[in-house]
Amino acid sequence: MFELYFPIAVLAVVAVVLALVLMVLSGILGPKRPDKVKLMPYESGMDPYGQARDRYSVSFYLVAVEFIVFDLEVVFLYPWAVRFLDLDAGAFWAMMVFITVLLLGLVYTLKKGTLDWDSSTAAHNRA
Amino acid sequence: MGLLELLTPALLTSLAVIGGGAFFLLNSAALAVYAERRVAAFIQNRVGPNRVGPMGLLQPIADVLKLILKEDVVPAQGNKVVHAIAPMIPVITALMTVAVIPFGDGLVGANLNVGVLYLLAITSLGVYGVTLAGWASNSKYALLGGLRAAAQMLSYELPMGMAVASVVLLAGSLSVVEVVNAQRDLWFVFVNPIGFLIFFIAALAEANRTPFDLVEAEQELVGGYHTEYSSMKFGMFFLAEYMHVTIGSMLITTFFFGGYHLPFSSHWLPDIGNWKILLDITVFLGKTCFFAFSYIWIRWTIPRFKYDQLMRLGWSRLLPLSIVNFMVIAIVLWMMR
Amino acid sequence: MDLLHDLSYFWPAAITSIGGLAAMMAAAFKTDMRWVNAVAVFTALSATVVAASDLVAGHSGLLFSGMVAHGGTAAFGTFVVSLGTLFTLVLSRSYLEKIGHHYAEVYALILFATTGMIVLASATDLVALFVGLETMSVCLYVLAGLVRERKTGIEAALKYFLLGAFSTGFLLYGIALLYGATMSTSLDVIAATTDKGGLYWAGVGLLLVGFLFKVSAVPFHMWTPDVYQGAPTTITGYMATAAKTSAFVAFILVLGRGLQGSVEQWAPVLEIVALLTMIVGNLIALVQHDVKRMLAYSSIAHAGYALVGLTAGTLSGYDGVLFYLFAYTLMNIGAFAVLAYYETADGQERSTLEQFAGLGWQQPALGVALSIFLFSLAGMPPFAGFAGKYQVFAAAIEQGYITLALVGVLTSAAAAFYYIRVMVYLYFKSPEQPVSLPAVDRLYGWTILLLAGLTILFGVMPSLIVNLF
Repeated sequence: MFELYFPIAVLAVVAVVLALVLMVLSGILGPKRPDKVKLMPYESGMDPYGQARDRYSVSFYLVAVEFIVFDLEVVFLYPWAVRFLDLDAGAFWAMMVFITVLLLGLVYTLKKGTLDWDSSTAAHNRA
Repeated sequence: MGLLELLTPALLTSLAVIGGGAFFLLNSAALAVYAERRVAAFIQNRVGPNRVGPMGLLQPIADVLKLILKEDVVPAQGNKVVHAIAPMIPVITALMTVAVIPFGDGLVGANLNVGVLYLLAITSLGVYGVTLAGWASNSKYALLGGLRAAAQMLSYELPMGMAVASVVLLAGSLSVVEVVNAQRDLWFVFVNPIGFLIFFIAALAEANRTPFDLVEAEQELVGGYHTEYSSMKFGMFFLAEYMHVTIGSMLITTFFFGGYHLPFSSHWLPDIGNWKILLDITVFLGKTCFFAFSYIWIRWTIPRFKYDQLMRLGWSRLLPLSIVNFMVIAIVLWMMR
Repeated sequence: MDLLHDLSYFWPAAITSIGGLAAMMAAAFKTDMRWVNAVAVFTALSATVVAASDLVAGHSGLLFSGMVAHGGTAAFGTFVVSLGTLFTLVLSRSYLEKIGHHYAEVYALILFATTGMIVLASATDLVALFVGLETMSVCLYVLAGLVRERKTGIEAALKYFLLGAFSTGFLLYGIALLYGATMSTSLDVIAATTDKGGLYWAGVGLLLVGFLFKVSAVPFHMWTPDVYQGAPTTITGYMATAAKTSAFVAFILVLGRGLQGSVEQWAPVLEIVALLTMIVGNLIALVQHDVKRMLAYSSIAHAGYALVGLTAGTLSGYDGVLFYLFAYTLMNIGAFAVLAYYETADGQERSTLEQFAGLGWQQPALGVALSIFLFSLAGMPPFAGFAGKYQVFAAAIEQGYITLALVGVLTSAAAAFYYIRVMVYLYFKSPEQPVSLPAVDRLYGWTILLLAGLTILFGVMPSLIVNLF
């Protein structure tokens, strides 16, 4: 265990240190001449208008929800994929049913236009 | 037990491999930047950078020096801490992946029995970098770019995960070394070409490369999530992108093109003793370079998708296809059992 | 483990889940709703028939590595749940069409919820129990908020979801502690444990709280009235009967199978809860003017009566509860179905007592049916409700819970007041403006009459069902 994970720990430390060094280096070596306009968020040269952290499309949330479902499916698949040839028929068909059910779920969401980003067709499908 | 006793030869080898891998990865990023500009120039019938050093080879070093010497601007009302952490995340996660990739026979940093899971876990952490960068900048362009990046990377992680699962089916192991060794006879790309295609497309999207670079689509979003980044903080996003190109190529090589194995090598390759190591590394790096080149090739050949096209491709084409591909492979293997 | 062999004893759940998937695909491909309804009804019908044949066959055992049981209590629970679903599906069509929410997804959700209920009612392992409970609950949360244009619908969904999630937390924590104390989630192993430390009792306590939330016993009843009132009426009937039945059957399995050895410890707790539930539920129902809300409080009170049988902690007590649930399913779905008709018949959205004035004369058959259901709910002979109450009270008296039985009878007498008040309005008050209700959908009407007939049948001959246990 130690032999396996120690190198990874070392690599993690090295990676963090490297990132920090690059960051600090530019902080030290770079000039510091802030002014009000420079610190403004970029908005094509205009003064920023309204809130930056505004409300955004619900589709992003839907993607996140869908992602969780299918990512969990993938997570369940890995251990099964390693061992499935040694397991009995029940385990095989159980997993096939599981995948099929989720595939049907995907068909449903796609048909319903949950993940349709073109708003005109999306409104039509959801109605 | 003293620390020295813990440093067994095996451990030292691992550390050396990891060190070499990380070093290679960092340099490859620099080389990829250079290669990108030269290849782009070649495709567009231009010359490209040729002033700094022989054939412009020192151009990346000049770029890094310039970036480090620039002023680091943090936008007012931005979240300073998150703004600083965000660019570090993709760099760190990119570097972490080399730990489990085998460069040759026995040349692997850590032969984890869950190496494939480790790879997927670490690479999927990269999305935090872009999302946090978009959020911390207090800018509309950055926020939208970050959100787009998050949605895009999540969407393409699924087909990628399914494609890798089909590789796991074929290899029967989650260890990356086992996956490579299972391809001694036959590269998985010959058995699982659809899986390879899906993985390749998804890897392009994960690295936010054309045709999936909507995250930083200049015409709509200025710089996307790194609009408000300057100096080396911007440089780190840049670095990470090219490290991801290399890593994506390494993963394609490892999962589908036999890693360090030559095609059908078990059938014809004679025993060449210690030279084998050298051959392994050369073969592996050769394949990696080829795929890195195709990343660049694609970028300068194919136009960008629209965002709805991108999402439709991911969810209604690649994901169902990858699931069906997985099922077909599983059923065939089950029948042949 | 042979999957197909185990599945062959678990067909009802498999059938309903396949039917649910079919309904979901129908929703995706926008199939004609008549077909969707027909397929859903057929699914529920076949599940009911299979469940009934399992019940009659009388075999029993454990399936899926001891996760669920078949036969006995589980089979009866499955049967009642499938039956409730069948009636709900038959009745829902015309009601949902009238309120403009007739979607294929409703059928998918109901069938998925039914799958969850069947698993819940058959669980012999706390993990299976939890999975079943969640499958059921998540579907019901959505169904409760079906009428999302109305504040009451949103309130129902949100309240149900938040409190349901909260109670699930209790249940899950209880399961975790029990697992910690006994090293197993299997009810049989938990029953065999002899080392009962603090962890064990804490787990049992939290488990009880979680269940009492789900069956809406006082003091965990607050969500019930709002949810039942805000949900579409036929769905309310479904939640009040099938969902409650499955939760009670699971409660019986957990108490009777897993915690029977600790009956002396949990019975007093349930006794107090049952007392409170009967008194509070009936007293608040007395002052309700909205009939749907009144039935919601009455369903709390009925949970109290069922808890009386559980408190007894004997086989006859559990059997009494099972019969009670069966009778309650028949009469309550019927009552809600008539309410649904009155609510939508001519676009007046009647729900308060005053609006019910004189309606009994409009569609005489439905008025009589509602009267039968209400008499039965009040516990009057010769209806099924009476037989149910009789059995649970008898079981309680056998075990010496005289107070419990006494309070039960007294509150039933009080309850008769508010049930009969509805009938007074139906028949002896004249409406402010003359009303004329259009004729009822034929299938709808006959289903209600069938339910009324069954309510009488099992009131006269409860042995038809009791002998099946």
